[in-house]
Amino acid sequence: MLKIENLHARIDDTEILKGLSLEMGAGEVHAIMGPNGSGKSTLASILAGREEYEVTEGSITFDGVDLLELDATERAVAGIFLAFQYPVEIPGVSNINFLRSALNSIREQREEAPLSGKDFLAKVKECAQLVELDGKLRDRSVNEGFSGGEKKRNEIFQMAMLEPKLAVLDETDSGLDIDALRIVSHGVNSMRNGGRSFLVITHYQRLLDHIVPDHVHVLAGGRIVHSGGKELALELEEKGYDWIVDTPAAQQA
Amino acid sequence: MNAVATSTKEAALAHRVLETVREQGTLPVSTAAAEATLESLPYPTSRQERWKYTRVAHLLGLEGETATDTTAPEPVLPSLDAHRLTFVGGRFAAGEIVDEGPEGCFIGPITAALERYPERVEALMAKGFGKQEWYAALQAAAPQDGGCILVPSGGRLDRPVLFHHHMPNGALAAQPLHLIDVAERGHAEAILWYDAAENATGLMNGALNVCVGDHAQLSLEIVQDEKGASSHIGHLHFTQGHHSDLTVRTATACAHWLRNDLHIVQDGEHAASTFHGCYLPNGQQFVDHHTRIDHAYPDGRSDELYKGLAADRATAVFNGKIMVHKDAQRIEAYQSNANLLLGEQASMFSKPELEIYADDVRCSHGCTTGQFDAEALFYLRSRGMTETAAHNLLVQAFLAEVLDGFRPEIRDYVHDVYALRLGWN
Ligand SMILES: Nc1ncnc2c1ncn2[C@@H]1O[C@H](COP(=O)(O)OP(=O)(O)O)[C@@H](O)[C@H]1O
Ligand SMILES: [Mg+2]
Repeated sequence: MLKIENLHARIDDTEILKGLSLEMGAGEVHAIMGPNGSGKSTLASILAGREEYEVTEGSITFDGVDLLELDATERAVAGIFLAFQYPVEIPGVSNINFLRSALNSIREQREEAPLSGKDFLAKVKECAQLVELDGKLRDRSVNEGFSGGEKKRNEIFQMAMLEPKLAVLDETDSGLDIDALRIVSHGVNSMRNGGRSFLVITHYQRLLDHIVPDHVHVLAGGRIVHSGGKELALELEEKGYDWIVDTPAAQQA
Repeated sequence: MNAVATSTKEAALAHRVLETVREQGTLPVSTAAAEATLESLPYPTSRQERWKYTRVAHLLGLEGETATDTTAPEPVLPSLDAHRLTFVGGRFAAGEIVDEGPEGCFIGPITAALERYPERVEALMAKGFGKQEWYAALQAAAPQDGGCILVPSGGRLDRPVLFHHHMPNGALAAQPLHLIDVAERGHAEAILWYDAAENATGLMNGALNVCVGDHAQLSLEIVQDEKGASSHIGHLHFTQGHHSDLTVRTATACAHWLRNDLHIVQDGEHAASTFHGCYLPNGQQFVDHHTRIDHAYPDGRSDELYKGLAADRATAVFNGKIMVHKDAQRIEAYQSNANLLLGEQASMFSKPELEIYADDVRCSHGCTTGQFDAEALFYLRSRGMTETAAHNLLVQAFLAEVLDGFRPEIRDYVHDVYALRLGWN
């Protein structure tokens, strides 16, 4: 469902992604691990359509569509969701009103009927329960005054509401204590199904104890330098990245 | 253009306005003194700091017709339970007078108030900026009827008062005056509503004089909602006694060309003033809010917040002056003006002016003019909102801080006008 080939991207004059390739099938969970600054968030942002990054080479195909031709809104409509590493605070915009407009905007663009108020609220209730999101938080301004953990749970809440085909989770585990980690993972796991794929970005193995991936990739120097099964995460936890990053494949990058 | 020609033009304008306004009927004032003041004042030009960004040259061409269509407009905020008085083109058109006698409240047109309580009303009429500004002097030389609220000591209005002034079609000049006097420990809520017909092209040169007595409270909401292409100059003057509490919220919902001068004088200790405003000119519109607060006595507080957005080729101006007089110690004065620019041809001129002559003062001010927060915009779009919808949501959020302070009926009304004008759904 997602195919990234030889992706090169830069911001201003800095090249960040240097020939990244990755393929994901429907229903699969892929983890991307890698040192700080290796380009993980850049990849996530590019998938979601952030315009500051310039793609200079390569391609991204999503369900047979050239993703790079779509703007951020269109990608959400196509079924891509990014859980932000740093969710944005938007004072004055109510979390719930914003989600209602977003959801109905997507439905309108997909030529589906808008959700009735009653159905919307039922769905809010269900999804909020999934990540144990406090009713107060739903009604507050988007992320304003939320703790780190609350912000991350709000991201997963939004994901559950929008039911994407591809969810990119950018360090959703950072800043979470063990209980919150369990809640968030439970939310993600209960959304796993044959049609929905997850790209889970993390640099801690502990998240992957809860969200067990089908594949693990190491991103270093702007490329995928190593891929393996779920046991690779454990190996990385034990040995760090140096043994991979120092290989000739990585050096080339 | 030489000086003589200019002075001829402005004198001719003054003559036309005074003549047509007087034809409609004005309140009794000492005409000779007022006209002498008018002649002594310079016509505003961009060379004067207070008029630097505010071109008034277009007003010199005003024909000054007399009103032909004087039908009363549809009531505004129909669901609001209020004492209502309606004025059309500077004349009393409809409404019931409330007169509880000298010890009670009075609500009615100034013409009626003058007959019954001449001393109190004349004293109120004498306030204002009639001696400082050309257009204010023009207004003071031929003030027209408007609403008058008199609240006695310890008195309280049972309902809010709504004065609705309507500019009819045509190039008419109107100079309505509204007066509000809340005596000590009194309490009042009022709404001033200014609107205009679709084909109004005239000049609304209006004034408001307010006295809030010692320990008294006044909450005032002003809505400017003018369709058509009329020009609006507002001279809003407030005097506050000690321990008084004044709140003035101004929503410029729609205005083709508007200049507001709002001046609050804290004339006693421990006075509190809150003045908030919002504006959103688009197309070729022009909106200018000039404010000034004088902290003349110690222990006063002021909280000023103006927020706005200029779109398309529109221009918005904000100027906020805070004057803390000598010996006015322990003042807390806060001012904030935040603006968004939407469109490369839109302009915003924002200027705080602080003059502080006391040493123990807490004063803060911030003026910002910016674009949309790109991060927030991306966040909203990544959830499926279109760029336009995301813009609109951010504008609404931006204005909410001011708009949410109005009573819900007004907040919703102004929101809907903005929504219609900017194409929010
Ligand atoms: N907006 C930006 N402007 C400048 N440099 C950036 C920007 N975003 C990312 N970078 C740089 O690109 C590199 C990769 O960043 P990022 O994708 O955030 O890494 P990761 O998420 O793996 O920690 C870093 O060196 C970072 O400084
Ligand atoms: Mg990152």
